[in-house]
Amino acid sequence: MKKGKSIVANVLVILLSILWLFPVYIVFVNSFKNRAELYENMLAWPKSFSFEYYEKAMKKMKFFHAFGNSLFVTIISIVIIVILASMTAWMLVRANNLLSKIIFSTFVATMLIPFQTLMMPLMQEMGWIRDTLHIQMLDNKLGLVYMYIGFGASMAVFLYHGFVKSIPVSLEEAATIDGCTKFGVFWKIVFPMLKPTTMTVIILDVIWIWNDYLLPSLVLSSKANRTIPLSTFSFFGQFTIQWNMAMAGLTLTIIPVVIFYLCAQKYIIKGVAAGAVK
Amino acid sequence: MKKKKRKDAGWYALFTVPLLFVFATIVLIPFFIGVGYSFFSWDGLPLNPKVFVGFKNYVRLFSDSRFMTSAGHTVIFTVFSVLLINVIGLAFALIVTTKLKVRNAARAMLFMPYLIGGLILGYIWKFILGDGLSYVAEALGSSSKLLSNWLLDPTMSMVALIIVSTWQMAGYIMIIYITGIMAIPDDVLEAASVDGAGFWQTLLKIKFPLLMPSFTICLFMTLSNCFKIFDVNLSLTGGGPNNATEMFAMNIYNEIFSQSNYGYGQAKAIVFLLVIAAITLVQVSVTKKREVEM
Amino acid sequence: MKAKKVMSLALATAMIAGMTASATVNCYADEEDSVDKIIVFQSKVEIIDQLEELAETYEDETGVEVEVWGTTGDDYLQQLKTKLANGQGPTVYSLLPGAESETMKNYEADLSDLSFVDKIADGMADVIDDKTVGIPYTMEGFGMVYNKDLINADEVTDYDSFVKMLEDQKANGINGFGLSQESYFLIGHILNTPFALQENPTEFIEKLNAGEVKMADTPEFQEFAKFYAAIRDNSYNPLETNYDKECGDFATGKTAAIHQGNWCYSMFADYDVDFDMGLAPLPICGNDKIAVSVPAAWYVNSQASEAEQKAGKDFLEWLYTSESGQDYLMNEFGFLPVVDGMENESLDPISQQVADYAAEGKTISWPMNDWPAGIVDVYLVPVAQEFFTSDMSCEDFLAALDDAWAQANEAK
Repeated sequence: MKKGKSIVANVLVILLSILWLFPVYIVFVNSFKNRAELYENMLAWPKSFSFEYYEKAMKKMKFFHAFGNSLFVTIISIVIIVILASMTAWMLVRANNLLSKIIFSTFVATMLIPFQTLMMPLMQEMGWIRDTLHIQMLDNKLGLVYMYIGFGASMAVFLYHGFVKSIPVSLEEAATIDGCTKFGVFWKIVFPMLKPTTMTVIILDVIWIWNDYLLPSLVLSSKANRTIPLSTFSFFGQFTIQWNMAMAGLTLTIIPVVIFYLCAQKYIIKGVAAGAVK
Repeated sequence: MKKKKRKDAGWYALFTVPLLFVFATIVLIPFFIGVGYSFFSWDGLPLNPKVFVGFKNYVRLFSDSRFMTSAGHTVIFTVFSVLLINVIGLAFALIVTTKLKVRNAARAMLFMPYLIGGLILGYIWKFILGDGLSYVAEALGSSSKLLSNWLLDPTMSMVALIIVSTWQMAGYIMIIYITGIMAIPDDVLEAASVDGAGFWQTLLKIKFPLLMPSFTICLFMTLSNCFKIFDVNLSLTGGGPNNATEMFAMNIYNEIFSQSNYGYGQAKAIVFLLVIAAITLVQVSVTKKREVEM
Repeated sequence: MKAKKVMSLALATAMIAGMTASATVNCYADEEDSVDKIIVFQSKVEIIDQLEELAETYEDETGVEVEVWGTTGDDYLQQLKTKLANGQGPTVYSLLPGAESETMKNYEADLSDLSFVDKIADGMADVIDDKTVGIPYTMEGFGMVYNKDLINADEVTDYDSFVKMLEDQKANGINGFGLSQESYFLIGHILNTPFALQENPTEFIEKLNAGEVKMADTPEFQEFAKFYAAIRDNSYNPLETNYDKECGDFATGKTAAIHQGNWCYSMFADYDVDFDMGLAPLPICGNDKIAVSVPAAWYVNSQASEAEQKAGKDFLEWLYTSESGQDYLMNEFGFLPVVDGMENESLDPISQQVADYAAEGKTISWPMNDWPAGIVDVYLVPVAQEFFTSDMSCEDFLAALDDAWAQANEAK
């Protein structure tokens, strides 16, 4: 009886997921069609599965080079965001004074600013920094990393802030009495307990940075620096999209993120189990 | 004592200043430069004339009926989207944290629409709502209004926009709810089950109160994302039909980039930011009060 | 011990944040005085591949490296402006001649001393303040792209015959005349015609901006509105059709004619088109001319160093005068000749007709390039959308267009 019920539940959940995946299906099938076939019926199963468009797209995108660039930018940005944001958020919670409140509110408030209104002044500021301080932030992957840290700070601090509060202060106090510095307390006691949040921050930021087009399109100009989303630009014309190439490129872009997510979500569960040191 | 205080201040700086420095140079300084530009009439090109107009841009904004309408659309859109995204995202999270065998596959599948990106998702849905619906209507031999192209009707376009945004973001928000649910200690749930609490009782009396921090976070994140919606707006409805779905971000974008009214566009952005900030502050402080200390 | 390791690792990483910037100081120090490289940034996504090849040929022949930057068709201008604004501008870039190039004139170098400037076809070069600043890519022409099996263009010469054509096609279950939902394909191009039919289009726009004339009171516009209404009454709703579908319907014989130009020919490549197609004028007020002009022109960034500007000009000189440069323009890009002495023998049928109309002088201009910036997307499209989703009368439609025009000007 109970077994039958659970099979039904499993099937229902899978059906729901498949329904939800409908747009992904459209992306997938249309990566195999030419314009005439696509016009005939966008929903239909493709007549033939040749990986012609994938090969072409990979070649035009210089896929592996772009993949390397994306990986570089994504990993470095996220490692630094996680480290700096968790430290900041913890301090803001523990030293709960007026200054902390102001800082935290500032982080939160800036999450509401549409990026489009910041980009022009930001690019001017970066131009000014290059001209006066001779620091090249533009057309430089590390410059882009620096900007991702700035833009990613708010959300990461916000997420960590919310979860730091659920950690008992008593453990930290005990460690302090044992002679740990704040640094030690944070890395030895607090950070491991934040693991579920860290995984969430990592997942959300991977999705964001890996897929981001607008910021890199403004910062990185030269061919050698192109990330994956930038390398698909030539599939997007002003009035029409080269659907097969664009969809193939998009599939190539999201597969690594899906694989990453499948791996990472296990750690959310493990993280909680390990973090429950109560 | 004084020494300890100074030492504490040192630690405080060490922990917060690196991030604050980066954050200030990337977000705060450009923001204040932008505030400065909102007092000028300027097209954004440094070599072109920049004329100081004082508060004229701000005054003009209040008689700009199109801007006011777009702000109204944004509020309607946000209210419905935030509710839907959170209800569905939370439901998803509750489903995939059960002991079902398929939970891992389901998780990945539910969050995949977000990876497509708003622009392409908008194009795809535009097709589904146009051609897709007409196939269905033909197959059913029905001429119901629900099966005609939604994007030609002002109200249905808004509905479409809300549905597509929900489709995009529910899986994203699910990720945060999952973290919250996983953080609920098993012993609490076991105790409840020993006490004979049913599914709904566990959900309402135990899970929801413990999920309050997640609610705060998710509500705020959906609020800010919905207020700033741009990609889906552009590709799905383009603001149409007849401006019925033009949102705030699109209005500003057009002002700055299509019409090169840079200063005026900045003024719009700042006014709207103040309004949203006020609204979300209220939201955060209300939900925060409901959080339980663990 | 482990904690210490973690700590030092953390410290090191934290410091990277501050140092990423300084680590990179040296990358660009020598950019200023080197001219062995120029940067080309342009908006025509369709020619990107060929342009990359051209860059290699150019480097082989002259030793100067050409780096081609890419972008999607939609955000080109936004990126160009941002990059010019922070001094990261390209050497050579493209713009739409007209209102767009006028606002950017401070960034456009004088190209009058290029050797082929006097050979550019009349009115095709972009001249601002008596200086030639923009070199045209090609000519493009639009009008009624039609299926020769279904329509005899000689019989569609005025409003009545146009409506008769629409009705005849409709009786056979075919769409007579198709538009699509993209702003220029919906209203921009078709509204260009009544403007171009004015005796002096530039003056007309000025008067319209000043509120001295109204579209509602101008005969060409009144007839345009009648055409628009006839399309609404006899064909599919363009708001439900995008560019891809419009072209697909045409290629498969479901639509007899579409309002497009020679650029759409490449859209038919994947179809087995089994009919001949032609390009005919849209006969508003008996118009027998095709709207032909320059879709984009090359500009050299006046903010670049003298040496870099010179290198940019050399590149254009090479492109329009050397054998390989011309070969790319004509055969690889498929452009129509805009400079005397060039010829393209492998044109597709629609482009060939544009060339023929141009040779006969049967062309009207593109005053739409002088309309207030952003007016088509932001102000005109909503009016067209209202028109196609209601039974708005022609008078109300023109009044709404006049209103939209006034609003666009008020926004300046």
